[in-house]
Amino acid sequence: MPTLRALSLRHRIVMAFAAVALLVSTVFATSTYLLARGYLLGQRERVVQHQTFADAAFVQRRLESAGADVSAVLTAAGTPAGHTIILKWRGQWYASALDQGRDAVPAGLRQQLAEGDAAAQRFRSDDGPSLVVGVPLPSVQAEFYEIAPLTELDGILRLLSGILIGGALVATAAGAALGAWASRSVVTPLNRVAVTAASIAGGELDTRLPATDDPELATIVGSFNSMVDTLQQRINRDARLAADVSHELRSPLTTLVGSVDLLNARRDELPERAQRALDLVTADLQRFRRLLDDLLELARSDAGLDRRPDATIDLAELLRQVLSEIGREPTLLSGADDALVLADKPRLSRLFRNLFENAETHGAGLTAIEISRTGNDVLVLVDDSGAGIPPHERERVFERFATGATKRGSSSGTGLGLALVAETAAVHGGSVWCTASPSGGARFVVRLPEIES
Amino acid sequence: MPMQVLVVEDDDRIRAVLRLALEDEGYQVAEAADTPSALEQVRSAMPDLVMVDLMLGEIDGYTCIREVRRMSDIPIVIVSARSDTHDIVAGLEAGADDYVTKPFQVKEITARLRALRRRLRTTAEAAEPDVILDSDPSRRLVLSTARGAVMLDGNDVPLTLTEYRLLAELAQAPGRVLSRSALLASVWEHGYYGDERIVDVHIRRLRTKIERDPGRPQLVVTMRGMGYRLDPQ
Repeated sequence: MPTLRALSLRHRIVMAFAAVALLVSTVFATSTYLLARGYLLGQRERVVQHQTFADAAFVQRRLESAGADVSAVLTAAGTPAGHTIILKWRGQWYASALDQGRDAVPAGLRQQLAEGDAAAQRFRSDDGPSLVVGVPLPSVQAEFYEIAPLTELDGILRLLSGILIGGALVATAAGAALGAWASRSVVTPLNRVAVTAASIAGGELDTRLPATDDPELATIVGSFNSMVDTLQQRINRDARLAADVSHELRSPLTTLVGSVDLLNARRDELPERAQRALDLVTADLQRFRRLLDDLLELARSDAGLDRRPDATIDLAELLRQVLSEIGREPTLLSGADDALVLADKPRLSRLFRNLFENAETHGAGLTAIEISRTGNDVLVLVDDSGAGIPPHERERVFERFATGATKRGSSSGTGLGLALVAETAAVHGGSVWCTASPSGGARFVVRLPEIES
Repeated sequence: MPMQVLVVEDDDRIRAVLRLALEDEGYQVAEAADTPSALEQVRSAMPDLVMVDLMLGEIDGYTCIREVRRMSDIPIVIVSARSDTHDIVAGLEAGADDYVTKPFQVKEITARLRALRRRLRTTAEAAEPDVILDSDPSRRLVLSTARGAVMLDGNDVPLTLTEYRLLAELAQAPGRVLSRSALLASVWEHGYYGDERIVDVHIRRLRTKIERDPGRPQLVVTMRGMGYRLDPQ
């Protein structure tokens, strides 16, 4: 049943409870109705039979006396109100009511009486349901029929069935309500698990499910919490590893950077070939240092150790600052000059530094930077005058160590530059993507949520 | 007389390169490989500046900073391979004035030291009228730029040089809000990307020394999202 499976757990529980309640109440109602009906009809039949036999005996006695007036006899029989007597005597039909006659008696019953048996039958006439009892009176060659209305009984049964159907519906609704309650008590803990899991995924690693007294829930709560404990330990171990690696690598790097700085300060004292070697060492040391920084930054953001962006930053000021750092004129910047964002200043400026340097090295130079607004966000458009990036490469450039035909990923020479840009944008609640600029080059767009000033 | 810098660092190669770089810049360099010998040298030689690595074998850099601070108000610069938030903040809270992370460029270190040295000189030279910070007769607090000191009821309050400079900077414009980056630029001479937590930590330490109730500061007030303001009482 694909449609049923498509329903939520909650709806399925409600429907199951309602279906069971409906089934049970239907069975009870039906059997109650049948029993009550059988009992009431049986009783009524017995009463009518008694009456009929008494009336038949009276009529027989009167007919046995000679010269009896049939009509007077029937009137004198004193039948209860509503009952009708029909008599066949000497081939003639007589009735206690004017509008009744032979046809009021069902043929099957007449047949039975002709064979000499007393009989009773329920039938439905124009006046409603009725019961007819027939008694043969062989001593006077007569057949005595008495018709009794069942309208009153029928009304009672109708009322009863109405009550039972109503009861069944109420029971079904109650079942559905019970199902809703039961499903809520099942789904509520599940929701709590989902909410907790979401907040853990959102970086709040200290979140745990509250303890519970329910033995079944306690198992889930216990294993969920211990799973998160294990994860947290693992993340902490990874983070410690990152910090340890950082320390171990940074110490020798410090000596190297310091020594090379010293050599560069005394560069003039070196022979020419040694100067060239020193330039090579200097350049690659720089690259090595950036690679280490990028890697650590990524490792830290993977481990969720980042400082949350919490400083209010004037975006235009930050962009001008970055421009002057890379030696480009701040006049490249245009657009909104009053946009504020929530940021971790060093990291956000590093994001833009990476993008600008990427445009300088791989995009044949930065041509324009524009700040614009869309809804609650601000967009920073970074255009270059290069050959652009083909559409199928536009997502791949943000992957780590992406080495496509464009080699865009290695903006800082590390293969991590644009990956770090994407990570940093995400940490700031924004995103980054790549399109074509109107002038033909590549356009990188950074979206950041704007804050009210 | 050349300035004397004490380099406390357990890695001898880093110590050696720092000595070379600092001597090139005209500093006189003393070295210590662990906390006990560093403290011994501070006691006997009284350097003008101390550079401390946070990872220092048995007795770590935080302890070293705290102990040096107990003896003297000389500027202390942390040199750390760890750039994690809590390491830096813990070091600053132990009493350090500034920090650089490894691997640093020699230029960076010498710029920081030059800034600290300039601060030493300016505090001695800039002489302006005294500023009354708290006029309550029972705890009269006065900033005397001529003496380079803050006095509470006539006694000097033991401020470090950085704390003093920070207070003097705020006292130049009482009632006006100074942003963290402005304070960072004027007191520490850090660039645009300086770490503003340095300011917060120093403000916190300053408050414990001069506020009536450091838990509810009234003299140095935080303006949320803007910076700090000095409100003379």
